[in-house]
Amino acid sequence: MSGDNMNQRSTDSKDTKASKHNNNKIPFPENNYTHNIRKAGERKLDRRGFMKTMVGAAGLFAVSTLPWGAIAVKELSGLGAKSHPKRKVVNISDLKVGEATEFAYPGEHDAALLVRLGENEFKAYQNACTHLKCPVFWSKEEGRLVCPCHHGFFDVKTGKPTAGPPQRPLPEVMLSKEQGAIFATGVKRYET
Amino acid sequence: MKRSYRGVILLCFVLLLNIICTQQVVNAFFYEKYERVLWFAAANIILFPIALWIYRRERDVE
Repeated sequence: MSGDNMNQRSTDSKDTKASKHNNNKIPFPENNYTHNIRKAGERKLDRRGFMKTMVGAAGLFAVSTLPWGAIAVKELSGLGAKSHPKRKVVNISDLKVGEATEFAYPGEHDAALLVRLGENEFKAYQNACTHLKCPVFWSKEEGRLVCPCHHGFFDVKTGKPTAGPPQRPLPEVMLSKEQGAIFATGVKRYET
Repeated sequence: MKRSYRGVILLCFVLLLNIICTQQVVNAFFYEKYERVLWFAAANIILFPIALWIYRRERDVE
């Protein structure tokens, strides 16, 4: 469009006045030869347009971090944490060192396993194997948790898988000791 | 017309910081360091008004 205007202007000037440019050698009465540059879109990506794009991108980045921040706030404030009622598992005197007992926590059908590792050392896990939910047993001889279905093994101190098909740790049941008994107070998050 | 590319360079730098902060947010989120997530998310949000301020200042000079 601007090229047409320029042509129009050039022919006008050719008609009206004779100049030293109008000598069939220099096509247009201008001296910087920019007639072949398309100027119609020149404001589309000039410096200011570029800066506007950058500001828009900064805004986009700012907005895009909001969900992450929101979830982080939720996690930090503990809104996502589930709380379960405290429940008595076993009297300490009923469980010898090196022995284990099964119980259900937090629900009636959520099997869990309490292991007494030392005089004052207790560990409890939800004992559905993280591979295919077979019940995991405490093997006193081997000193580790065993899933007999596919020979999965878990470290009893951390619940992390040590061998076999399971890839994820067993969810730990948090315990407290009161009046000579062990109470289950909550379940740590199941790691995916 | 006197050209100044200071605004362009500053905004490029702001965008670089944006990219870094976003990456750090996602990274910290993966490793469940939620406090770190909040710091970098806040930095990312603060960068937007800064970018706007740089742009306005450049525009008003022109």
